Amino acid sequence: MDTLHSANSRRDFLIRTGQTALTGWAAPWLLNMTAMGEAAAFTATDYKALVCVFLFGGNDYANTLVAYDDASYAKYATIRAAGSGSTTGMVLDKASLAATALIPNTPLPGGRQYALNPAMKGLTNLFNTGKAAVQLNVGPLIVPLTRAQYNTSDRSKYPLPPKLFSHNDQQSVWQSSSPEGSTMGWGGRMGDLSMGNNTDPLFTCISLTGNHVLLSGDSALQYQCSTSGAIAVRNLSDNFFNQAPMRDAFVSMLQQPRKHVLENEYNVVMKRGITAQAKVAQGLSTVNLSTVFAAGNSLADQLKMVARLIGARSSLGAKRQVFMVSLNGFDLHDYLNTKHGPLLQQVDEAMTSFYQATLELGVANQVTAFTASDFGRTLASNGDGSDHGWGSHHWMVGGAVKGAAFYGSAPPVSISDTAAPDDQWHVGQGRLLPSTAVDQYAATLAKWFGVSDSEMTTLLPNLKNFGLAAGRPDYPTNLGFMR
Amino acid sequence: MNEMEIDTPLENTPRSLAAAVGATVLLEACGGGGASGNGSANNPTPTPTPAAEASLLASYEAARFLQHAQFSSSEAEIAAIKLQGASAWLDEQMALTSSTGGYDWLMQRGYGAIDKNRFYEMEYQSNYMAWYQIMAAPDGVRRRMALALSEFFVVGGAGVSTISWPMFVMGAYWDVLCKNAFGNFRTLLEDITLNIGMGEYLNTLGNQKEDVASGRLPDENYAREVMQLFTIGLLQLNLDGTPKLGTNGQPIETFTQVDVSNLARVFTGYESDNSEGYSQSAVAPTYSLRNVGYTRRPMVLNANRHSNLRAEFLGVVVEAGTDGKAALKTALDTLFNHPNVGPFFGRQMIQRLVCSDPTPAYVARVATVFNNNGKGERGDLAAVFKAILLDTEATSASGLTSTTFGKLREPMVRTAQWARTFKATSLKGTWKIGNPNYSAVDALGQSPMQSPSVFNFFRPGYVPPSTAMALSKATAPEFQLVNESTTASYINYLQNFLYQGMWVRAPELITSPDTATPTDGPDIVPDYSAEMALVGNPTALINRLNLLLCAGQLSAETVAMMVNALSYDNPSTENAKRGHVAKAIMFVMCCAEYLVQK
Repeated sequence: MDTLHSANSRRDFLIRTGQTALTGWAAPWLLNMTAMGEAAAFTATDYKALVCVFLFGGNDYANTLVAYDDASYAKYATIRAAGSGSTTGMVLDKASLAATALIPNTPLPGGRQYALNPAMKGLTNLFNTGKAAVQLNVGPLIVPLTRAQYNTSDRSKYPLPPKLFSHNDQQSVWQSSSPEGSTMGWGGRMGDLSMGNNTDPLFTCISLTGNHVLLSGDSALQYQCSTSGAIAVRNLSDNFFNQAPMRDAFVSMLQQPRKHVLENEYNVVMKRGITAQAKVAQGLSTVNLSTVFAAGNSLADQLKMVARLIGARSSLGAKRQVFMVSLNGFDLHDYLNTKHGPLLQQVDEAMTSFYQATLELGVANQVTAFTASDFGRTLASNGDGSDHGWGSHHWMVGGAVKGAAFYGSAPPVSISDTAAPDDQWHVGQGRLLPSTAVDQYAATLAKWFGVSDSEMTTLLPNLKNFGLAAGRPDYPTNLGFMR
Repeated sequence: MNEMEIDTPLENTPRSLAAAVGATVLLEACGGGGASGNGSANNPTPTPTPAAEASLLASYEAARFLQHAQFSSSEAEIAAIKLQGASAWLDEQMALTSSTGGYDWLMQRGYGAIDKNRFYEMEYQSNYMAWYQIMAAPDGVRRRMALALSEFFVVGGAGVSTISWPMFVMGAYWDVLCKNAFGNFRTLLEDITLNIGMGEYLNTLGNQKEDVASGRLPDENYAREVMQLFTIGLLQLNLDGTPKLGTNGQPIETFTQVDVSNLARVFTGYESDNSEGYSQSAVAPTYSLRNVGYTRRPMVLNANRHSNLRAEFLGVVVEAGTDGKAALKTALDTLFNHPNVGPFFGRQMIQRLVCSDPTPAYVARVATVFNNNGKGERGDLAAVFKAILLDTEATSASGLTSTTFGKLREPMVRTAQWARTFKATSLKGTWKIGNPNYSAVDALGQSPMQSPSVFNFFRPGYVPPSTAMALSKATAPEFQLVNESTTASYINYLQNFLYQGMWVRAPELITSPDTATPTDGPDIVPDYSAEMALVGNPTALINRLNLLLCAGQLSAETVAMMVNALSYDNPSTENAKRGHVAKAIMFVMCCAEYLVQK
């Protein structure tokens, strides 16, 4: 579990890059970042970016990617009709799904068909035109598991991801393979390996949505940019401090190194922000996007700024970037009927506009957006919502995605607990037992990004338990959804 | 936590006692004011006597304690503690009757009216209520503890906005926390469980039993979070808060999904208590509106909707057919008596009030008091808070020279401290302080009772990546809010009000028109008179702020730097003097030595 032990890998990194010759103790993030970046594991001549769209709260898979063939839909409708006296419960009407039916190039086995939520017309179009694909039933796994193995008590042979079904921990596990308290994520590790290709390594991993472990690496930092761009400290340039020496003293105080570690860290972030702000403002000043993003949609606001930052990639000197954006509100234990559709509509509008923006910027084949979430939810209904689950369906968007396709296996539609094959892909109440691990999903994205096979396990400590080399060709380390 | 060797940063030297004592003596000699400015930073410093030095040290200690125990430290409170001691003072504060609560405060402002303003559908004004409570309500100790509790038993305003009278729902929830702050944990646990706001937030309200025919199952949200967040947490703990390890060397989880699904049955059948009746809503389309009093009535049990299935959780069985009330008692007793509660709750309260990464020994001492207050009572919150605040780790001088001890002051606590230190008041009495996060450019990043989720603004286990804390695996929860955006926007946020106070639209109205009005302007304004009297003597001014805001925790170098910086500004008009004070406060409240409270 803990092969990314921070102190060890940090030490390794220092040795690797010859930084141990420096006098005294110093952490990589205190060193000259440009120099550190030269230790890049691979050389990039082109531009590529990954954009993680995190759906906080645990997205309800069953009403996002809806069983659409008649047999599966009938089972779905029966299970989800379990309401409070209502005959429809949380069932999406079949007729309403016609416009969002997904048409893959190769039909799924067993006649299985899916439609997206009726609010997701833009993504339906991107899927059907080959610019988006769906990864079925993906979630955290340490080793491949059957339901019987999940139920066994032999945890040394069949370990489970820690703290399953817990929001904060599964967010962290998705992003970093470890629960709350983890300090390194796979996006950040990709940043470690690629930041040497960027003039300013700080702009390798950029969050538009606060601090999340996905984007923290060993050396790579997550830089925070707001939807209004980099935020300037106003009184460094206005007349609040009417005397220059006074202002200078203030600026100097804000950035002063401190012996107390908490004080020092605060000032380190402050200093980094002040330095980066000027560069980002300069870079964004020449980027004009004509693509329209929906107003009043916080995810669209974030993705618009990501698009603008990508537009500024030359002046920011970036060749490889990992971004993170998010939308809150998916923990729909109730109000699923009224709240889920509007949330998905926001996701749909934002991701569709973002794809359009990458076309406008001429980087549609170089930018890949993908979704992630705490977990999927139960298929069973609690009357007006669903409860915490495990596996879920996710989607990837971009010109480099081999679109109009489903990857992975379509899980049977069932909530019963029998020995029948249909009951082997959930662990009760329709909480999906993942048939694809997050590590496989991430490895497929990382491979496209430029990470070599030999470096892959430094991002994804559990990947060694999957794929041909592990004797599990049914759990491949490259899922094949990227060109 | 391991202390690290860092080669370049400045020394964290002992406090600038001589200069500070001298200035205080000078200040006292002038009757606390009237020092006329000559614009020089180089006022002669009288030689301090040993008695004055000891007195100032005692003031720093008192202020340090006060800033742990409440939001601020006034000169009068410092004097009181020097006279009677912290323990006696704390007993006195805890014995005070709780002041006007959130529900009543909103009612007094007029938000209970059923009229065209449709207050009965609004949640936003709970911001005014919560900010008033932490910025100005008289019993600061109780309010400080209630705020800490609100970050453990979280209900976020946005999550209750769709039921009737949502601002009163928040007011009533706040009142539950205030009422029980010095009571017993078991009572508090039951009160929050049955509170309508919590019921709406985590879905106990309206939760129905299973329906075998259709396959419907109980909602599991509260069952999970009451265990994971409000009582026992996910891992079995030792008394000192460290995880117990199993034979395989791994932590042991406290419960499984099966426990959650079973416990969920206990929390079925709860509905709002509508015994206060209904009124017609005011604006078409009219509907039958529950009268506002329902928001402070505990939810009631509807036996017909309560699950009669057997429920087994945490090794305890509620037999099939058990009465709902008895089932609830079994469930809450089981949770309350779990050995995890003391260390799990205690460690987080220490983090909120004193330090981010307490030693296991500190946690164990607090958990021991949780388990038994010395008189055989478990869960005595007054005793627990007292144990936290008077613990040697909180008060010892070694914390002042450590390079790791302390916590980042929470943004909302900084704002409350500013308001209380400078006796800010709403000129029109409306206290319309909204959620200070409408614009990223000058966002505070936090607002009381407005956590974005039940997981609070930050996690107790958060370890800031790529920092010295990460190397030693030291938790620093508040740092989850620290990034390149928020460090800058906090300064901009301060600049919006340090000079003239907080700007409010139409402060004479309880509503806020969409467009500008002639009366728009500063309404929540500070009283800087004591500070303005020190303009011209920057040493005295900074020393005063150092005592009141920082408990004397600014280093000599920092004091000298600030004094020197202020000496460049020589105001003559009243407005300019006010601006000078604002600059001085800006320096202090943005200084790392202030931001990290030791």
